[in-house]
Amino acid sequence: MLDSFEILTTSGVILWSRSYTNNSDPSIINSLISTVFIEEKTLPGAGVADDISAANNPPFKCDQHTLKWTTVKELGLIFVAVYRSLLHLSWIDKLVDNIKTLFVDLYGDQLKKPHTTIVECHFDEYFDQQLRELEKTALNQDTKSAEASALLEKAPPSLSGNLGDEPPLLPGLLSRGASKNNWKDATSNEYTPTATPDASRPGTPAGHLLTAKAGPGGSRRSRKLANTPSTHASSGDETSAKKRAAKSKAKKGRKWDADGLVDDDSDTPLDYSAPNGATSGEDDGEERAGAMEEIDQKTWGSKTGKGQFVLKDLDDQVHSMLASADAEKSHSTAAPAGIVGSSISAIGGLFRNVVGGKILTKKDLDKAIKGMEEHLLKKNVAREAAIRLCEGVERELIGVKTGNFESVQARIQTAMESSLRKILTPTSSLDLLREIDAVTSPSTLSLQKRRPYVISVVGVNGVGKSTNLSKICFFLLQNKYKVLVVACDTFRSGAVEQLAVHVSNLKELTAREGGKVELYQKGYGKDAANVAKNAVTFAVQEGFDVVLIDTAGRRHNDQRLMSSLEKFATFASPDKILMVGEALVGTDSVAQARNFNAAFGAGRSLDGFIISKCDTVGDMVGTLVSMVHATNVPVLFVGVGQHYSDLRNLSVKWAVEKLLSSNQ
Amino acid sequence: MASQDWIQHLLNPSPLQLTIAILLCITIPIFLHTSVFNKSGLTTLPSILLVGPSGSGKTSLLTQFERGTAASTHTSQAPIAVECSLPVSSTAGSDKYRSIHDPTHSIHKKFLLVDTPGHGKLRHYALDTITSPQNLRGIIFLVDAATLSAGDEGLRQTADYLHDILLLLQKRSESKTGAKALKEIPVLVAANKMDLFTALPAALVKSSLENEITKVRRSRSKGLLDSGIGMDEGDDEKDDWLGEMGSKEFKFKQMEEFDVVVEVEIGNCLCDEIFY
Repeated sequence: MLDSFEILTTSGVILWSRSYTNNSDPSIINSLISTVFIEEKTLPGAGVADDISAANNPPFKCDQHTLKWTTVKELGLIFVAVYRSLLHLSWIDKLVDNIKTLFVDLYGDQLKKPHTTIVECHFDEYFDQQLRELEKTALNQDTKSAEASALLEKAPPSLSGNLGDEPPLLPGLLSRGASKNNWKDATSNEYTPTATPDASRPGTPAGHLLTAKAGPGGSRRSRKLANTPSTHASSGDETSAKKRAAKSKAKKGRKWDADGLVDDDSDTPLDYSAPNGATSGEDDGEERAGAMEEIDQKTWGSKTGKGQFVLKDLDDQVHSMLASADAEKSHSTAAPAGIVGSSISAIGGLFRNVVGGKILTKKDLDKAIKGMEEHLLKKNVAREAAIRLCEGVERELIGVKTGNFESVQARIQTAMESSLRKILTPTSSLDLLREIDAVTSPSTLSLQKRRPYVISVVGVNGVGKSTNLSKICFFLLQNKYKVLVVACDTFRSGAVEQLAVHVSNLKELTAREGGKVELYQKGYGKDAANVAKNAVTFAVQEGFDVVLIDTAGRRHNDQRLMSSLEKFATFASPDKILMVGEALVGTDSVAQARNFNAAFGAGRSLDGFIISKCDTVGDMVGTLVSMVHATNVPVLFVGVGQHYSDLRNLSVKWAVEKLLSSNQ
Repeated sequence: MASQDWIQHLLNPSPLQLTIAILLCITIPIFLHTSVFNKSGLTTLPSILLVGPSGSGKTSLLTQFERGTAASTHTSQAPIAVECSLPVSSTAGSDKYRSIHDPTHSIHKKFLLVDTPGHGKLRHYALDTITSPQNLRGIIFLVDAATLSAGDEGLRQTADYLHDILLLLQKRSESKTGAKALKEIPVLVAANKMDLFTALPAALVKSSLENEITKVRRSRSKGLLDSGIGMDEGDDEKDDWLGEMGSKEFKFKQMEEFDVVVEVEIGNCLCDEIFY
């Protein structure tokens, strides 16, 4: 069963919600919002996300719950259904989509009002109706064949129909007969639509056309019925009367003269009206669109005319709304523009491109987005990351109106700027010094014992692990910390000596400032994880503040070397694992970041990147974006030179400016 | 002399030309008026900005102001501005000298409450609003009083954000030119969720925030430079020290020098009363 269903805005206000459990936890949906929408850890469905159905959005799993969601971009709405992961609810996508259509249809204009969060909605009935209906469908589905279920997807189950000639007949009664097309499965519940092939198209035209098929006799009959409220009903043509009865089975409170008689018959004739329905449906396939339009008009009229909806009417109203939405969609996709019309719109489009106020479509954007993608690739952004960014921008911009005197290019530029900024901005503050302080001198209230802060550095060969480690060390020494440098590169000859040189240099440099640095080394050939573990215990005994662990460089696609990292992470349990990546690397950066991020076992991942050699690439700093894109791990430092002091925090503004600057 | 004829014909007072001229004379000003004045709007309402870390209750407070009861909310992703009106009993500061019998007394009480997302990646909305404000009258900084105990991650995040906001305000007042004096912007630190058992009282909220901001200030001054600085010239040395230069401890009082009044009040969104 469904746990809860919520409709909320992007500004965070819940417009409508329904919960079936006693304590629905808001943190589940909060985590959906922060992971999917804000941090974009799981990518939304590719392509155009505007009209995307819930089925195309990947379900979000969190703590035994599965969340199905869909969004309406221009109104800033999110629809979320939460259910237990154990359950398999096949109809949930359909529910989310239908609810979306209904809600937007009913309250769309209210949502567009500025400066308010209030939406007057009495949505309960609509939701209940949908839920009941889809659950029934699902129950039925189990007994039906698989192919029927596929067809059912497309079929709005029932529709108000067969009213072409009735309103004059019954002026007082607005109940729209729910012409359930359950000709075959007459005994099943009245909400149950049949999944027969002919039901794959909306039922409305069938009902409508059936009366037409019955010929003039049908309409004449109805008039006769109105005029002479007597036993005439059964006297005429048997089949047509029974057909009528079958169609209007669900109508309640209709003042039919021959009430009992008709009701009795209603079950029997269903059998032989079925082929009739099937043939009529096939015959009039072309006229379908026209018929649909007609019904739309009527349902709208009846909706505004009434204040409240009883259940039966609601059912029909819902169906007609869903059907009209479907019809609109098919119209908009199939709308062929004449030569004159298209040329006028083309001229208008050009004009608007200059003046602004143009509503962007995929076609407008395609070329400019391609250009932007090329630009990003030139900036050394990996193709994968560039495509993701461009798709994000496209998704954001389709359907958006450009501002006054704003060209499409300028709009894309600003959108790209904001999405670059979003991807590079860290989720939480990255103040290393405060984190070290919190660990090395914990406040007396928080029952934590003093311990050294452990930082380890990993990366591919030759990217500058040792150099950046000594840069960090220099920075820490300037802030008067006691630092222990651990040489865990027990593999490459000369690695330990290299670190020793760095340490002796740093000692000299910072002797006056009050920092203290030592080297911990156990020579070559030892197990790195054990060395690290011993070093940490040594640091605890000696009262060091920070432990910096240098590791051996390893190729990220060498499984043998990478597997030792997991042991290393558990033995040394570093507070921060930083990966050094060089700015020079191109497309490979994504794979590097991914593999290193996954190498530390299930519970551990990277904590940050150091992007080295940023001074050597000019403004081609795309590696920053590629690596963050691949892992959602923030960039902690950038290396900008050869000296110990050439380490910088990442300034997002600086990076974005470099990435978007057009001079080569 | 065909050309002369033509000119003569052109300059002749004909009824058609006359009507066209009159029509143009009448419609152009109307057209200009509608096109220009619709855009700018008459006056922007005074606005109050809601900032604070994620989950501190900004959107909840917003709905409380708008509807009278707090709606249930989730994490915000987009800012929203809502038109609210002051309670009937209270008088706006701008109406202080107005007689209560003044008919305009009952209007001018509307204001915009601007909610911003508090998530780390989305704070630029709030910072942008402060740097380019439209009739910004005040900032409410909401904190979750239950997460402010010492050594808590929540306290660090909150202090970080508050430090950024105050620094921005300080820079704004420092950069102001003599000709165009900016209005002072008071900051209200509203300690939310006082109904929770672990919530700190107002005095403690204030002192722990001040202590933590002191730490933030110190580590920021010692931290590394941003990558932009030093690489491209032109970025002059920025002074990022919040509050009184060289002071050991940060106090909210130090901000008064920069026309920023900071007050700490407590309350919770669940009860009807909000402290002003």
